[in-house]
Amino acid sequence: MSNPSPVFAVVGHPNKGKSSIVATLSQNDAIAIALEPGTTRQQQRYPMTVDQQLLYTLVDTPGFQRPRRVLQWLEAHSVSASDRPETVRAFVREHEGDTRFVDECELLKPIIEGAGIIYVVDGSVPYSAEHEAEMTILRWTGRPSLALINSIGDDDYSDTWQAALGQFFQVVRKFDAVRAPFAQHLSLLKAFGQLEPAWEQPLQQAVEHLASQREHRQHQAAALIAEALIAMMRFQETRTLPDQQATTDPQALENNLRERWYQHQRQREQTLRANIETLYQHQHIQRQEAELEWHSEHDLFSESTRQAWGVSKGYLATAGFGAGAVSGAGIDALTFGSSMGAGALLGGLAGAVGSYLYGDRLTLPTLKIGPLKNGLKTARFGPVQDPQFGYVVLGRAVDHWWHIAMRNHAGRELLELEPTDQHWLEGLDKSHRRSIQRTLDKCRKQRQPDQRQRQDLIIAIEQAMKVYEQWRLNHTAS
Amino acid sequence: MTDKPLRLLLAFDDRFQRDRDQPATFLHRRDRRFALDCQQQGRSPGIRAWLAHLDRLSGAGADRSQTPGSRYLQRWRALGAGFIAGGSLLGVAAMLGLLLYEGGQRINVTVFLAFVMLQLLLAVVTTVQAAAGWQPWHWLTRHWQTTEKSPVRTALQPPMAARAAQAGGLAFATSGLITLLIMVVIQDLAFGWSTTLDTASTSYHRLVSSIAAPWAWLWPAAVPSLELVEATRFFRAAPDAATTSPPQWGQWWPFLTMTWLTWTWLPRLALLLATHFFLQHRARRLLARHPGLTTLHYRMETPVIETGNQHSDADDLPDTRTRSELASLPVTPVCIAWAGAGRDGLPEELVPTSSRPLSVGGNARLEDDDAVLQATRQQLQQQSRPQVLLLTRSWQPPTGELSDFLEQARQHWPAGTRVTLVPLAADPGLPPADHLLQPWLRFAGRLSGFASVATVGSTREANHE
Repeated sequence: MSNPSPVFAVVGHPNKGKSSIVATLSQNDAIAIALEPGTTRQQQRYPMTVDQQLLYTLVDTPGFQRPRRVLQWLEAHSVSASDRPETVRAFVREHEGDTRFVDECELLKPIIEGAGIIYVVDGSVPYSAEHEAEMTILRWTGRPSLALINSIGDDDYSDTWQAALGQFFQVVRKFDAVRAPFAQHLSLLKAFGQLEPAWEQPLQQAVEHLASQREHRQHQAAALIAEALIAMMRFQETRTLPDQQATTDPQALENNLRERWYQHQRQREQTLRANIETLYQHQHIQRQEAELEWHSEHDLFSESTRQAWGVSKGYLATAGFGAGAVSGAGIDALTFGSSMGAGALLGGLAGAVGSYLYGDRLTLPTLKIGPLKNGLKTARFGPVQDPQFGYVVLGRAVDHWWHIAMRNHAGRELLELEPTDQHWLEGLDKSHRRSIQRTLDKCRKQRQPDQRQRQDLIIAIEQAMKVYEQWRLNHTAS
Repeated sequence: MTDKPLRLLLAFDDRFQRDRDQPATFLHRRDRRFALDCQQQGRSPGIRAWLAHLDRLSGAGADRSQTPGSRYLQRWRALGAGFIAGGSLLGVAAMLGLLLYEGGQRINVTVFLAFVMLQLLLAVVTTVQAAAGWQPWHWLTRHWQTTEKSPVRTALQPPMAARAAQAGGLAFATSGLITLLIMVVIQDLAFGWSTTLDTASTSYHRLVSSIAAPWAWLWPAAVPSLELVEATRFFRAAPDAATTSPPQWGQWWPFLTMTWLTWTWLPRLALLLATHFFLQHRARRLLARHPGLTTLHYRMETPVIETGNQHSDADDLPDTRTRSELASLPVTPVCIAWAGAGRDGLPEELVPTSSRPLSVGGNARLEDDDAVLQATRQQLQQQSRPQVLLLTRSWQPPTGELSDFLEQARQHWPAGTRVTLVPLAADPGLPPADHLLQPWLRFAGRLSGFASVATVGSTREANHE
């Protein structure tokens, strides 16, 4: 092999977040991360490939268990600084299979085979000189090295760590495996590439591929949301039953169909959640508990949820999004024309007032029983006539997407989707609002949006995602 | 006439619908690999090749006739065949009706011409309906869509229906034409023209001449002459003109045959072809705009990125149940600090016990550890119930080195010596956080009675600052 791809051994003291770093960089939420020293007993390799071409490999290793004893052995077998790497190799060769040094052998093996060193410390606990033995061993290997200051707890001792690590490592970086934004992942990978000239190109390639993958994922997420939105807006629950059954207790029949309609919509929403998570390679999110809690407290169809997830009454009045809701009263064309045509904020009075008054509640579909045919009648419930329902679904979906897209794979905490208290869709420009509204209108008439409308909807949702991202950024900053 | 674009679209749509349940990563890997293979072989990764490749991989024996697309096409073919059969029968019946001649009244050419115009109008309406997307046949196909919904198949309905209708119309025109010719041969038909309107023969002649204009140069005999027109006018209320010879009544048949052929049969044929090509064009356009095609191209064009997320050991977590409990802090003068614990200050509880703990671990040399073991041994030998306090930093979890040290101590120190591990918090005045304490309790538990864990520091509500 003339130019093998770079390998990076992630090493350190036990329980300092090595596996978290690897989980985040390899986008793998199935790596065991536990607050128990010695969880990782064997080295585990995480190759990054593009079309099966290996660009780099991360190696998760066990933590140092007996660094002083190893260092004592090395010092006893070394004559000069030049023989140190060879002495480390000799140590591994001599102690392979020795139960006392199984961890050290596992972590040193990739390094003596040519891996770069990524030394991880916890910046939330005070620096202690007892790490010096292991840092000295790593220096003895003579391999390019980078120290990462991870933060497991809330305290910050990173300055003292930085000063101390600077004496042992070429590069020292801070990186919070759980909270670091994606741009920092890429920047860290670039820093890995700086450790040796031959590593720069593959790491640069990897960064470019990961960035474009990220961008495309956002588009795919928008397409998934659009698909679910259309399906949910168009959904109609039907049941065919004998004439007598259909007419004796229409209320019971309506309740039954409504319940099934709700159930279907919730299931469809859950499918969307799972699809978005799969897209971002989050396979082990503990969402079920959060979902149950979320649903019972913030029911999809409750007034408080509607307001919280982005369709406040004031917003409806100014943006005219409630226009479609009054279609039953025949004012649809009037309000649509004024609110959408002349612009949201200049929306006609009739449209705005109509929307505002209608903003009190979501209009749910009503039961419709078809004509008698062969002794049977078909009862229909849906599709939902109020486009606000679509905005509720969209708001929740975008919020969930944001949490997933921002979540690092080292995160193991429960995903809690808290309702927002402000209206972020206000930031969406008119043409994109129109695209969304048009599609929702078509769907509630149970018509299939054509390909162009679907494309427009996807673009509008993608834009809504950007607006939401920006809103979140400002929200967090303020 | 080939249905290739249509079949390609339906096959692609079938594949798209089937792939919806597959993980996106799998689809990306599969299609990217196909594109790379094509690149290596210098082939273009077209849709047809892609579908053939997937079929080939699945092996022989796949029943293609059972895919939703094939079923859809079969149903339309069956419906088309029904239209053709119905059209043929109706064509015969309609022509027989038009040529009904009992020897009394003449067969009215005007009725015949009106019927031809009606046919022409129907053919045009069918075409307009398809172009505008109306679906008057919807009731026929409604039940097909219940289980296999696809926007593509829905969009194909109008031109499919139009093609079936035009095929039925052509069958109608063909069987009508054949019936007309047979009737001309086997019967002596007497044609005449009649109308309530006050129309002169010259006007009527102008009308039939303009109808016959398309074939006048080809078959002049099939253009009725003014004499024929004048001679074959009849009134139901009046007896036949004595001047008209019986063969003259039959001289209209070439004109009527050509009228039917030109104004009923040919338009139907032309519109059937046009509808067919429109259908193929629509199929090509639907394929070009198919959402699955964009994603397929993306999958083929973009590299498959694998970040090493195949490995999973999330379910392989260590046993973190803690069986030991906290012990009380013993009173003993023997206090050892592991890896610099207590260097930043000792908790109040420990100050009277030992102001200068002995340092082991961390930065100390292994020889220093041995020296401390020896020194404490002498101290412990003087105690009736030897007890040792071993201070540690709670945030630095127990390591193999500490385990080795305790194992050595067990061998060196008097029998019955008990070690109490005291994990300290970063702030010496506070007890360590619970999650940091748990590994220490489990560590002590593994030392089978030799060691226990105690904490110092005043109780606090939260276990961290």
